[in-house]
Amino acid sequence: MFGAVRRLATAAASAQVSRLQDVVIVGGGPAGLSLLAALKSSHKTRHLKCTLVEGGSLDNIRTFGEDPPENYTNRVVSLTPQSVEFMQERIGSWQYINQDRIKFYSSIVAYDSQEKDARIQFDASMTDGNGVLAVMCENINIQSLLLSRIDEIGDSTILDNTKVLDIVHPNKPEINHDLTAEPQTTSPGLDWPIVQLSNGESIQTRLLVGADGYNSPVRKFSGIESRGWQYGRFGVVATIKLQYEDYRSIGWQRFLTTGPLAILPLTEDNATIVWSSTPELSDILLKVTPEIFVHLVNAAMTLDEVDLNYIYGVLKKDPTDTSVLEEIEWRMSKIKLSELEEKYPLPVSEVIDKSRARFPLKMSHADTYVAPRVALIGDAAHTIHPLAGQGLNMGQSDVAGLVEALEKGVERGMDIGSTLVLESYVSNTWPANSMLLGVCDKLHKIFSTDFYPLVLLRGIGMKSLNMLDVVKDLMVKSMAR
Amino acid sequence: MRPFIQRTPGAGLPQLVRLLSSTRASANAPKYTSASAEELAHFNALASSWWNVDGPQRILHKMNLLRMDFIYSTVRKHLQLNKPETPLEEEIYVPPYSLDLLPKPIRLRIVEDQEMRRDALLNKSKLRVLDVGCGGGILSESMARLSFVESVLGIDLSSDVLEAAKLHKGKDPILGDEKLSYQLTAIEDLDASKKYDIVTMFEMLEHVDYPAKVLSEALKRVEVGGWVFISTINRDFVSWFTTIFMGEHMLRIVPVGTHTLEKYINQHEIREWIETNQDVRDSFKVVDAKGCVYLPAYGWKFTNSPDVGNYFMAIQRTL
Repeated sequence: MFGAVRRLATAAASAQVSRLQDVVIVGGGPAGLSLLAALKSSHKTRHLKCTLVEGGSLDNIRTFGEDPPENYTNRVVSLTPQSVEFMQERIGSWQYINQDRIKFYSSIVAYDSQEKDARIQFDASMTDGNGVLAVMCENINIQSLLLSRIDEIGDSTILDNTKVLDIVHPNKPEINHDLTAEPQTTSPGLDWPIVQLSNGESIQTRLLVGADGYNSPVRKFSGIESRGWQYGRFGVVATIKLQYEDYRSIGWQRFLTTGPLAILPLTEDNATIVWSSTPELSDILLKVTPEIFVHLVNAAMTLDEVDLNYIYGVLKKDPTDTSVLEEIEWRMSKIKLSELEEKYPLPVSEVIDKSRARFPLKMSHADTYVAPRVALIGDAAHTIHPLAGQGLNMGQSDVAGLVEALEKGVERGMDIGSTLVLESYVSNTWPANSMLLGVCDKLHKIFSTDFYPLVLLRGIGMKSLNMLDVVKDLMVKSMAR
Repeated sequence: MRPFIQRTPGAGLPQLVRLLSSTRASANAPKYTSASAEELAHFNALASSWWNVDGPQRILHKMNLLRMDFIYSTVRKHLQLNKPETPLEEEIYVPPYSLDLLPKPIRLRIVEDQEMRRDALLNKSKLRVLDVGCGGGILSESMARLSFVESVLGIDLSSDVLEAAKLHKGKDPILGDEKLSYQLTAIEDLDASKKYDIVTMFEMLEHVDYPAKVLSEALKRVEVGGWVFISTINRDFVSWFTTIFMGEHMLRIVPVGTHTLEKYINQHEIREWIETNQDVRDSFKVVDAKGCVYLPAYGWKFTNSPDVGNYFMAIQRTL
């Protein structure tokens, strides 16, 4: 009788019977999809019942493989050879990449706006990536290949257009005013978190994985603190056309005091830019006409900071002032043509309509990535300055680390939600991520100053570093971990 | 106080022989496997915190990871790849010499074939497991979750701890009654005609009064080709220092009163006991023994000497 009453009470509390799953992944970005594909590809973990929940629609990702949009999308990411290998060997998803829309880089050139000769070139020969330093491709291309792989395996549930309304702990002691009642130390029920969804369903899961980005609701549920800061800068992205196809397989990045500007050539005459800039500058970049924007990018890759500041000043007063076009042309004409061809990227000729967008830059790192029955991956665990193109790769290495820990847990007959299983994921990934976050944060800080002694010092640093192959080697290897 | 090692010529193995003496056993204790009343009281008190992985039994939870590695790798390594009835074309090549002598590509190919066969054999296996001295069920649950284990029976003499085990089992829906069950019983009271593929006795022999008797009861219940996995602690200074002095009193990572040095059993004593018993020697062999040590901030780690500190042992029934 009492048992029946208690059962009724619990049923009323959870309103609806929960479906049980082994793993629920919140977030359908590259990290979340990659984890699902990797779990289903490993013969040790493929028996786990998995569900992925995504708030947005995945329709454009599903159609991308068959029918991609004509122009490149503006979210382009850099993959390290290690990430590519992971997708080839462990997930088996690389075969689904849209080959026509990726570009292999053999080198990346970084140079300083305040010291003409301070430049550093990273080459593919320094990595074990078979002549490849990085692969540039669209975010959506990666999501698409992962989704194709997941569909190929079948046997997992993807709920898109479904929001997570709440995550609750089933055994959270309710405030009990009856002091005579026995304190309940152990509850007979499951201690798995319950995920309540906007489609009315609720899922109770052995392991809840947060791949839900910077503002991760899963991280908030788990009570894991994340620390970091806003850079007070925005990343402005755009898809552009170069004057003609760049056959050199080189990515370009110039360090300006407002933040680094990268031009990353893609196939044919396509390219993408990532321009880290102050809030003021990013306003200008989004407001100016396409024609002025194109000239601004060319100017920012070549002209001195003094010239640039003058031009920004003019545009700040009137973003449509076309007199800057002549200003820029006149100033550029003073640079030798041979130098322009050799040391700088190809000139930009066009910006794709509506491809300009901006996002705030920040650095954050969670204190840990796991709690009982919770793991965080990707941006939910860390966000990084885009200057080294490491964000997506860190997410992929998280996935590799988490899957490895879960495989070991299954082999040992453990409950995969236990911290005993998850702990090794943190100890294998946290320190390396912390180092990478630190390096990129320092790089941003060193280059965002125009304090002359430091400019001088970093110039010397870059020049000597460029000659010291051993050190460069180490840098590339640790980035392309 | 008893001296560390009592060895008298001719008497052989005082610890085990003492414990083998059946007259004394029947006179003093109702059950060979019974731990003393104090031991039972000690474990009963630990029942409520048994499954708190950050609580007093954390070190045991960590050790369980190594136990499972030991069991998994031993079982996997000694699978019989080719049965007599296996058709010739399906036979896996097992060279009669060290694989390291072969060129790398050939070696890798052979290893891959063997591993695939091992996976296939394990997938088909449905092993039955008896966990003696299961305590709160840390090992029993892990064994029950393995895909190649059909069922696990955990037995113990502490009723409170068994209650904790039963309660915790309900927290994982895949651990149904057909997969995992617990019983308050001594091993000698189990039907001896019912055989198991794996009998485990982890961190248990050092808590009973008659370990040799318990061991022989365990051996009686193993299927031909099956395994007995045991772990206990060498009776030496290192063990006293690590498990009692540091573990219980200094670092306090093991509940005080868990261990009694006099009850520790040396690795070679078990080997010698097997050698001196005619019926045991003919049908059982010690396949592997590995020492292990707890490193704070790291966890448990195998050592290369089973003669110092804690150790695991795998005994296989060959006949």
